[in-house]
Amino acid sequence: MELKELCLLRGISGDESEIRNYIKKECLKYTENVRIGRGGCLIAEIRGRKNPQKRVMLSAHMDEVGFAVTSACEDGLLRITAVGGIDSRVSVSKRVLVGSRALPGVIGAMPIHLQSPEDRMRVMRLSDLFVDIGESTKAGAEKAAPINSSVTFDTPYTEFGAGFVCCKALDDRVGCYNMLRLMEKAPFDDTVIFVFTSMEEVGLLGARTAAYDVDPDEAIVLETTAANDIGMVDETKQVCRAGKGVALSFMDRRTITPRALFEHALSVAEKNGIALQVKSGTTGGNDAGAVHTSRRGIPTITLSVPCRNIHSPASVCALSDIEAQYHEAEALISNTDWRN
Amino acid sequence: MDIEKFLREITAISGLSGREKLVAEYARESFLPYTDEAEIDDMYNMVVVHRGAEGGARIMICAHMDEIGMVVSKIEDDGSLRIWKSGGVDPRVLPASRVIVKGENGSLLGVVGAKAPHLLTPDEQKRNYSLDELYVDVGLDKESAEKQIRIGAEVTFEPILTKLGNGCLASKTMDDRACVGMMLECAEILSKRKTWANVYFTASSQEEVGSKGAETAAFRLNPDLAIAIDVTHGPVNGAPPDSTYPLNKLCLTKAPLIQKKLYERIIETADKLHIGVSRGVSGGDTYTDSDNIQFARDGIPTALIELPLKYMHTSVETLSLSTLHDGARLLAEFCSAIEAGWEEELWS
Repeated sequence: MELKELCLLRGISGDESEIRNYIKKECLKYTENVRIGRGGCLIAEIRGRKNPQKRVMLSAHMDEVGFAVTSACEDGLLRITAVGGIDSRVSVSKRVLVGSRALPGVIGAMPIHLQSPEDRMRVMRLSDLFVDIGESTKAGAEKAAPINSSVTFDTPYTEFGAGFVCCKALDDRVGCYNMLRLMEKAPFDDTVIFVFTSMEEVGLLGARTAAYDVDPDEAIVLETTAANDIGMVDETKQVCRAGKGVALSFMDRRTITPRALFEHALSVAEKNGIALQVKSGTTGGNDAGAVHTSRRGIPTITLSVPCRNIHSPASVCALSDIEAQYHEAEALISNTDWRN
Repeated sequence: MDIEKFLREITAISGLSGREKLVAEYARESFLPYTDEAEIDDMYNMVVVHRGAEGGARIMICAHMDEIGMVVSKIEDDGSLRIWKSGGVDPRVLPASRVIVKGENGSLLGVVGAKAPHLLTPDEQKRNYSLDELYVDVGLDKESAEKQIRIGAEVTFEPILTKLGNGCLASKTMDDRACVGMMLECAEILSKRKTWANVYFTASSQEEVGSKGAETAAFRLNPDLAIAIDVTHGPVNGAPPDSTYPLNKLCLTKAPLIQKKLYERIIETADKLHIGVSRGVSGGDTYTDSDNIQFARDGIPTALIELPLKYMHTSVETLSLSTLHDGARLLAEFCSAIEAGWEEELWS
């Protein structure tokens, strides 16, 4: 199992079967206790050696942002809608794979030669963008890519620069990757329930159902988060930096991290020499938002890998941050004694 | 000849205007099995010859091999690169594009970034990023970046050739290396024929900055007639009327300076071969190499054959391979049919 394989597998929110089947096979290497919850999450449990009654949930989402085909045009182009938050500006002139047969397609755009001055300024909306699979008739397009076909970005996996990686879907296959590595490391003292969630990108839907289902004592979410650390971004908006360690949120748009758990995470990082940075903003949100209010409330903390160009076909993470997330998560599940 | 392999390989070579040397060398190797006398001149024009009869007409066929792209204009403190354009780059296609940066010790992957949507002011959200708001992330700090990358370094789209349905191919730089491929197929056909005319296949430089290579190549070759081949726009939503042509037919554009009898002769040849063509009209310039070839020396009768292609100047320029084959057949037949006395009807 490599990060590359996980990133290249396809699975937009609500259509995660390809990635889920792959992860399920991987999970079965480490435990027989693997099942799929009613919300589409993959749930694998590894019983604790010392305190099996203590239950820690570790989660990462399997789904990725993408598109779905809404109809075919007379000229054979496909109309699409976004599944998850995608800025139309990053979608122009990109490659995609369409439907269960993964047909190659491109998202074209009007050439600069034909654009009016207004066209050049105006931001194209998603309704201005079409997927071209080479079909030239409506009937041909409908046959090749029926309505509701899933569309994923088609971007090679490339390691580049000084320890960076570029691919689609780093959000959140990075978290899935570290979860599988932690399963290999298991068992731990406490029981750990590894949850690969569905439909995070469309409103944390899978995590909501899984948290109820699993009913853990506490939860750790492995995620990615927008880095905004280079280019012309005001320094106050540079909430975390790629290459400077795993990012810890004290608060975001959805969740306030319990203070004691937050302090515990800081001291665990320090004790183990793990590169960690506190996210200096409160933007964003992730599965923790749904998990922490489940049932009677579940103390939840998020460990994020900073990600440049998140929700785009070419997102970028630092490999060292992915390692830091792994080590911090391992240290936290090995030491859950933070309530005192 | 494996045209798909040729297109995959030639479009993968970075070759901005004025930096066509590697493309020219690749083209020379590709043409040599079918032609003679390869030469790459000081402007990086690559010319090969199909030998006809001594004293036979001299036909120049010309497709450009330079591409649009960017150059590095500055290395920022955070290690990211600022870029400026070389040729008509559309900033709208750049955000989250993967690019190849020509470093001193080899090529580097770069990713074009921009301020994230959630950080844009309401005014910024209403307009596209301009080129000076974009940066290229090469995953290096300033010091390492400066060691490997010089100001002016070449930045081109990452090369990936994608096979779509219905025999369509999508890649960067099909404009105009697809037409270099059309010439290559024509050269292969002619290599099995005896012709009266001598055909000078020219892969020209610097078209994207004003057809400068074609201008000097036409002077040097001083042909009796010339045909420029270039891409034109395929159908796209929202395009102005009469500006696009279907992918499955070649386009023959008539402009004031396109030689009328040559134009008609090409159409007659297409009819004879049952090759369907669309007809385009330009009231003035065609914005192809033909504009500059026809003024060379005391004037060169010139015509233009265009290959429709969707999404020009993006990383996914899309064309139909069968139309490229049509173009090669048409060119070969046109050249074969040029015989002594061909010019008598030129101004009749």
